[in-house]
Amino acid sequence: MEYPRDAVFEFPDGVPGFENERAFVFLKRPDAHPLMFMQSLSVPDICFILLPVLAVDPHYKLRFTEEDLAALRFPAGAQPQIGKDVLCAVLVCASGDQRPDPTVNLRAPIVVNLEERIGIQAIQTQSEYSHRHPLVAQDRQEEPAPC
Amino acid sequence: MLVLRRRAGESFLIGAEIEIEVLEVCGTRVKLGIVAPDSVVIQRKETQITRDENITAARSVRQQAISSLLTKVALQPAETLVKNLTDNTISKVKSA
Repeated sequence: MEYPRDAVFEFPDGVPGFENERAFVFLKRPDAHPLMFMQSLSVPDICFILLPVLAVDPHYKLRFTEEDLAALRFPAGAQPQIGKDVLCAVLVCASGDQRPDPTVNLRAPIVVNLEERIGIQAIQTQSEYSHRHPLVAQDRQEEPAPC
Repeated sequence: MLVLRRRAGESFLIGAEIEIEVLEVCGTRVKLGIVAPDSVVIQRKETQITRDENITAARSVRQQAISSLLTKVALQPAETLVKNLTDNTISKVKSA
């Protein structure tokens, strides 16, 4: 495998709907900033488009359950910070037949422990956030946020 | 919707084989125990919603609508770039 080691992240449980995909590579291109791509290493056809959550909502509050923390190998009670301890990005649904405008899933962000290189989809159980948050152009006026 | 009132320690049945017991009630949270055949899929509703959204999201990278997406996020229209990026990734994985 030709990938640099630090581009590959392990997802021990996959993500819902793709439980067998246990390793993803995160791709960035400066000219596609702030979009990111999360490519399965085992199935070439499986690739997600992501946005750093703070690029969508600079005030996004990420909550961890004890299970989330354990899965990410953080100690119980830890409060990992976006951009410092974890990468937090949301999956983008492009517009399609059922969806006139693109949306992002703020309810279930992809969260990666940057130190351990391990990731989960951290479904927010008590959350005011939508799983179909509209992605509108005015959100993009803000400074690119760390991810 | 059928509404039942149950206390901790009480249970109810769905059909003959599925039993749900209220184990603990603490403030706004309820702890439930479920006994069901292996063939019955039990999941949190938000997990099911996430699964559906993920499946839609996974289709996005192949849709022509991706150019519209890039416009919406106020990037330079970069359909070709994204396509190349994806194709390169795929060919790399294939050749690996």
